[in-house]
Amino acid sequence: MTVAEASPLDLLRGHHPVGASTGYMEEIRGDWPRLAAGAAQVSSLVVEFSALSEPELEGLVSFLTRGRPLPFRYVSVHAPTKRRRVPESSLVEALSHLPGWVSAIVTHPDVVQEPSAYSRLGRRLVLENLDARAPEGQQVELERLFESLPEAGFCLDIAHAWSVDPTMQLANELLDSYRNRLRHLHVSSLDPEHRHAPLTAEHAAAYEPVLARCRDVPWVLEAPLPAS
Amino acid sequence: MTESPAGALERLAEATDASFPHLFAARERTEDALRDRRQKLSELEIDQDASVVLMGSWGRRELTGESDDDWLVILNGEERTDPRPGLDAVRGVVGDGERKPGAEGVFGVYAYSRHLAERIGLDQDDNKNLTRRMLLVLESVPAVGDDAYRKARAAVLDGYLDVSVRDFRPPRFLLNDTVRYWRTICVDFVGKERERGGEGWGLRNAKLRTSRKLLFASGLLPILECHKYTAAGMRTFLEAQLAAPPTDRVADAFLRHGAIDAGARALEAYDRFIGLLHHPPSRRSLKELSREEADESTVFAEARRIGGELEGSLLSLLFETDELRALVREFGIF
Repeated sequence: MTVAEASPLDLLRGHHPVGASTGYMEEIRGDWPRLAAGAAQVSSLVVEFSALSEPELEGLVSFLTRGRPLPFRYVSVHAPTKRRRVPESSLVEALSHLPGWVSAIVTHPDVVQEPSAYSRLGRRLVLENLDARAPEGQQVELERLFESLPEAGFCLDIAHAWSVDPTMQLANELLDSYRNRLRHLHVSSLDPEHRHAPLTAEHAAAYEPVLARCRDVPWVLEAPLPAS
Repeated sequence: MTESPAGALERLAEATDASFPHLFAARERTEDALRDRRQKLSELEIDQDASVVLMGSWGRRELTGESDDDWLVILNGEERTDPRPGLDAVRGVVGDGERKPGAEGVFGVYAYSRHLAERIGLDQDDNKNLTRRMLLVLESVPAVGDDAYRKARAAVLDGYLDVSVRDFRPPRFLLNDTVRYWRTICVDFVGKERERGGEGWGLRNAKLRTSRKLLFASGLLPILECHKYTAAGMRTFLEAQLAAPPTDRVADAFLRHGAIDAGARALEAYDRFIGLLHHPPSRRSLKELSREEADESTVFAEARRIGGELEGSLLSLLFETDELRALVREFGIF
């Protein structure tokens, strides 16, 4: 079977390591032990704990610093991008208390107001490209932030890149520009409302050449695994 | 693609706009220091069958400010009582003060190439013999006695490439011993921790995740690539591969298999590790770090992250490129 013939599930299962974002586990949101267990059902190697809403962060920091050791070998935390209330410096201060074994702290370019505030996160800070609805989440903004934050990494959200350029030329350009910054991928399809959805055959075929350039980094699923 | 991996790191850098500043600086540092040691050692009286061989970071061309001088005098002839150069004379040039070799007694002595080549396996192949042999093969450079060095390494390779080797199949004996060496390092890491009560744990752990892993890969990859050669052609291929620094061998493999993105990330991560080792406060911090303190150390967190990135890239090369995936599946486990 060629890659082009592979189902979306085959494409994902053919990569190592793949893991889950807790962001799609809406029904147990905030229950970090259950979210960790849910992610471990997908893979006990990689996880992204998603604290997209600012009030969720405190509980996550507490869970990660005081909870039982986790099985995952690559742990990412998605920093809050919604319901932001505290000053940016306070948010970064809270993020800096995440344990050292958290490899990546992902945030969106359009929520970074003062880049220097994030410099204390060093190489753990990871910036993600945004979808077509966010003009400030694109390459120009990423470039500006990477100039200010030279240690920061890059998370390629492949669905977001597709939403901007379905030919996938943008995704390739992002990889050319930020090849050595790449830390992990967000993988999913997008539904018509730009919500993350299980990977479809159409998107799997479109993504495959780009995914082939990213076989050495974890792929984080932002939606449940597609049906077989 | 050229058969020799020499220069592969430069080629990978050109193909990806990577710069690998710490690795290239370390190579220059190594060459400068080698020139100095060669000049000084050439003033000693040396038997025709003898070579002073530098190993570890010297062999990897990754000398940093506080690297140990791991050296051996390798002798190709019969055992004798007073070989030249004398060990004290060599100690006057390499391995003095803080740079003295490790405490296990592996280095700073004579080693007969016959023992390295003929004592493979069983009780006679103790930890020291295994370590000396594998380092001679995988990460060594002659300071003086180049011809004797080449003969010693050829003798060791011949010790592996015997009648059991088949055309177009990776040489099992060498493969198994290389895998054994890597697993021995991993097991001995715990042995040393127990014996030494944790002294030097952080630096050893960081090296295990990075430079030891890269060294293993730099041996494993050429051995797997032997499947392209007849038994008669393997030795020439392996000699050309092993003459290049490990980072060239690994970069070459990424280039050969069309995995240049992953290759750039692997060597970029490793480049950062060399930068850490060359930064005295970071190296000291790792050296003094205990297992209990590890989660609190930002330097160790970076070393762990580097190790993860390096491992991810190497695993993708071994398991997600068509040719190597088939070879690893067939020969890598059993």
